[in-house]
Amino acid sequence: MATYSTTGVSIPSSQPVGWRMSRLQRFLLRDSTLGYLFLFPALFVILGLVAYPFVNAIIMTFQAKTAGAPGRFIGLANYAELLGNPVFWRVIFNTLIYTAFGVGLKFFFGLGMALVLNQERRWNNMFRSFLLIPWAIPTVISALNWRWIYDDASGLINNVLVRLELVDETISWLSDPHLAMLAVIVVVVWQGTPFFTMSFLAGLQAIPKELYEAAEIDGASVMQQFFYITIPRLQPIFITAIMLSAILTSASVQFVYILTNGGPADRTQIFPTMAYNLALGGAQRLGMGATVSLFFFPILVIFIIFLTRRMLREKGE
Amino acid sequence: MFTRRTMLGRAGMAAALATTAPWWLARKAHAARAHKLVVWNPAALAPQVDKIMQEQCYAFAKQAGIKESEIDYSIIGSAQLQPKLVASLEAGTPPDITRVGTQNAQVYRSQGHLMDVTDLVLKMDKQAGGLFPASITSVMEKDKAFSVPQSVSPWPMVTRLDVLAEAKMDPPKTWDEFIEVCKKVQKPPKLTGFGPCLGLHSDTDNNVLNMIWCYGGKLVEADSKTVALQSKGTIQAVQLLADMYNKHKIIPKGATAWDNTGNNKAYQSRQVVFVMNPTSIYAHLADSDKDLYNNTGLMPIPAGPAGAIEELSTAEWVLFQKSPYPELAKGLAEYWMAPENLRVMIEEGDGRFGPPYKGMYDSDFWKRPVFQHWRVMLERGRQFPSPGKWDAAAGEVVATNVLARMMHRVLIENWEVEKAVEEAHKKVVEIYARAAQAG
Amino acid sequence: MTLSMTAQRRTVKGIGNFLLLLMLLWTAIPFYWMVATSLKRDKEIYGFEATLVPQEPTLGNYTTVFRDTPYLLFLRNSIIVAVGSTVLSMIIACLGAYAIARLNFPGRALLARGLVFTYLVPTSLLFIPMFAMMSALRLTDSLHGLTIAYLGFDVPFCTWLLMGYFKSVPVELEEAALVDGCNRVTALIRIVLPLALPALVVVTFFSFTHAWNEFLYAHVFTSTNSARTITTGLANFMSADVFFWGPLMASTVMSALPPVIMFLVLQRWVVQGLTLGGVKG
Repeated sequence: MATYSTTGVSIPSSQPVGWRMSRLQRFLLRDSTLGYLFLFPALFVILGLVAYPFVNAIIMTFQAKTAGAPGRFIGLANYAELLGNPVFWRVIFNTLIYTAFGVGLKFFFGLGMALVLNQERRWNNMFRSFLLIPWAIPTVISALNWRWIYDDASGLINNVLVRLELVDETISWLSDPHLAMLAVIVVVVWQGTPFFTMSFLAGLQAIPKELYEAAEIDGASVMQQFFYITIPRLQPIFITAIMLSAILTSASVQFVYILTNGGPADRTQIFPTMAYNLALGGAQRLGMGATVSLFFFPILVIFIIFLTRRMLREKGE
Repeated sequence: MFTRRTMLGRAGMAAALATTAPWWLARKAHAARAHKLVVWNPAALAPQVDKIMQEQCYAFAKQAGIKESEIDYSIIGSAQLQPKLVASLEAGTPPDITRVGTQNAQVYRSQGHLMDVTDLVLKMDKQAGGLFPASITSVMEKDKAFSVPQSVSPWPMVTRLDVLAEAKMDPPKTWDEFIEVCKKVQKPPKLTGFGPCLGLHSDTDNNVLNMIWCYGGKLVEADSKTVALQSKGTIQAVQLLADMYNKHKIIPKGATAWDNTGNNKAYQSRQVVFVMNPTSIYAHLADSDKDLYNNTGLMPIPAGPAGAIEELSTAEWVLFQKSPYPELAKGLAEYWMAPENLRVMIEEGDGRFGPPYKGMYDSDFWKRPVFQHWRVMLERGRQFPSPGKWDAAAGEVVATNVLARMMHRVLIENWEVEKAVEEAHKKVVEIYARAAQAG
Repeated sequence: MTLSMTAQRRTVKGIGNFLLLLMLLWTAIPFYWMVATSLKRDKEIYGFEATLVPQEPTLGNYTTVFRDTPYLLFLRNSIIVAVGSTVLSMIIACLGAYAIARLNFPGRALLARGLVFTYLVPTSLLFIPMFAMMSALRLTDSLHGLTIAYLGFDVPFCTWLLMGYFKSVPVELEEAALVDGCNRVTALIRIVLPLALPALVVVTFFSFTHAWNEFLYAHVFTSTNSARTITTGLANFMSADVFFWGPLMASTVMSALPPVIMFLVLQRWVVQGLTLGGVKG
């Protein structure tokens, strides 16, 4: 009987030798059957709650469908209308800007935060916990809070600006066409940076100190250490974090919905909110809504494939 | 024999059952609703009114022999109601009764969702002096009524009388005077002159059309088919609004993001002097700010070249066909609209809604000085598609915020007024054409 | 001019501390505003009478939330849905992940790869057909319907996380136990589960906060208060009355607490789980 070095406990055997299995039992206990059996619930969920609606979404894009009525087949009319709609092109542009800046800023701030938190100081744990809180708060709550911060008359920012007499009239953060997107991105960054911070911090802490010490002995400066040790080591985490964040950010409805609902004049309209407003707004066009969402998906897929391939290549799988 | 595999095998089975259980259970279960009455009452923007209506609903329930637990009563935010209704219609589970503006009622009616309530409306027309013509035409389609008139509300110019008094100015009688008064009394950034709703919400379409009327423009002709939006009057009115926003700066910049509560909030927190809005503001102040309440006037709209015209908006209770308890829903509507109950809601609700009964304006409540212009407004007020009448097409125009978007083209995207009006005109033509096709 | 190592280190330290201060302010100020607003009276909240520090702090907004809104109902609903979807996804994901990580069957590699795609399909794409499906199955406006809907995201994501984690646990321990012919249940409980505990903690945290946080499905699939969760309930307050910011901030303060507390308790594992899932894939 082997003992286990990890637990140090010796577990006696209770299985008689020469135990025979019936053919049925053998079949059921084969790895393949067992595998499918275990997988069944997960597969059922995925097929029923992801694959099926996805296929359904595709079908809906070929239909004209209002609420409470079955869809009517109209071929590619939705797609044609969408491509001819200038708002649609605006939305593509907005989504790209929103995602690129959102993820980009989160990345850099997250890295900065992680580097700072990686330094040794007293109460670091407390700081870390505190700085990570925005990510733990539900997005709806952050969005509502910031909406109030941005408020024209009573919001924190305008209040301070007016009191300090820095402005003549209040700044409409959420309804000025030049500022609205920026305002929304700020909230996205405030809320989402801790995710990057956490990931990077864990990665930083996994880098052995000896590498830095050895580099120092070799005469490398702080900057060189950063670029030649830290960055390469963090690369896999960079990729995962960016990928996850890009997908979640670009598909997020909450921020835009609560802050501006796509306004002013579609300046902050992104794919998810456009789909939502088409499907559930005044016109109730569910087919169109599905078309908008679907248009977006291939872009995501390409992005995912690109990144996962890099990620998998990195790990040499 | 507990081998790893059998243990896990059994666990797998159990999990498989657990996950799939809801599916086959759901299929078997028929959606027998737990509630006998599902009421979605949009917020009246004056809390005391919300409360009264809810109490009256429960009183009706008692009368009808239903328990309170059998009622699902929700007060829904004005911006949430529309998406919720769409979703519920799609799910096949709309509420039993809800209150919407005529524009939405028209859309739902044309899609066949609403219950026939002709008997109830005819009954109402025999009470309290009968219903206003505006109410009747709003709910009738080919001699059948598909919704229950709830209110007729003019949109006065809600005015800060104290600010005017301080500056020793009289309420302006024309739009040109209005601009001058605003420029003199406002103190930006704390106090701005005019707070029209300019966001992508129905209040905006209403405010904009009101001004268009004052300048001789209109949405459609009396035949309710010929679209007449593009005209000199319309262009003048839109230009006026644009100038107020950009040149004279008497409108807060944030107004373009306001929803239907935005202008209320602006007035109630003393940021603007004038707002074109029904009496939700006034009613709210009764409880929240007595001081402002006493200094608020409900004045007629300033006159343009085509005269002074107020908007008259009508709202109705809509009952959905899918309701499994139609008699209860009708009973509730009847209860709420019974003149004695309505009187309570209106008078204790500080005039939040104007009753649709002609005879109810003779009470002392309506003789108060603040309501002195009300009668005039009721008489000369026009409904949204005037001179056309309410129908599905007009409903869609408001529901899709055509006029609000037109304003956004000008104010936010800096389009030429003519171009924006032309685009809006085309959209309205398209909407009316589609409605005509659908018959 | 290159500084000496100690000088470099000291500069870096200094910059670090300065940045830390900025970061703390950046994070703290919005919180401050949220809490301060929740404690102010209406007069102090609106218009230009708005104050930076509550002059007359009051708990009135909090009582309004409990008295005048179905907040407790929303809270109860959020908890039910969060716990329900967490428990279900834990079970399903554990089994599925174990199968992919340990058992040999055809199609295993494909599944492992494909899993990533399934949780990356955004809800903003699926919500319309999901809604149609839920309506047909009469699952709308119900808590169990919402719980099921959340599994669509939780199960793939958690399976993927656990799969990565299980793969990193040395096989030898289990194999040795098998060869030894010892009591499987004991081995299972004493060896496998304790080793997998951090991963289970992470899965719990993610499922719970996802359900707590989720907005779109909750908003679209529920119509009556009986089924609304906190996220969609709060959004409704926005246009339900004119002066709602005080009570709204009060309710946001309260609603932020459960996931934050959970996070503070579990953060070590969460960070661990994230890295492991990411790096080991």
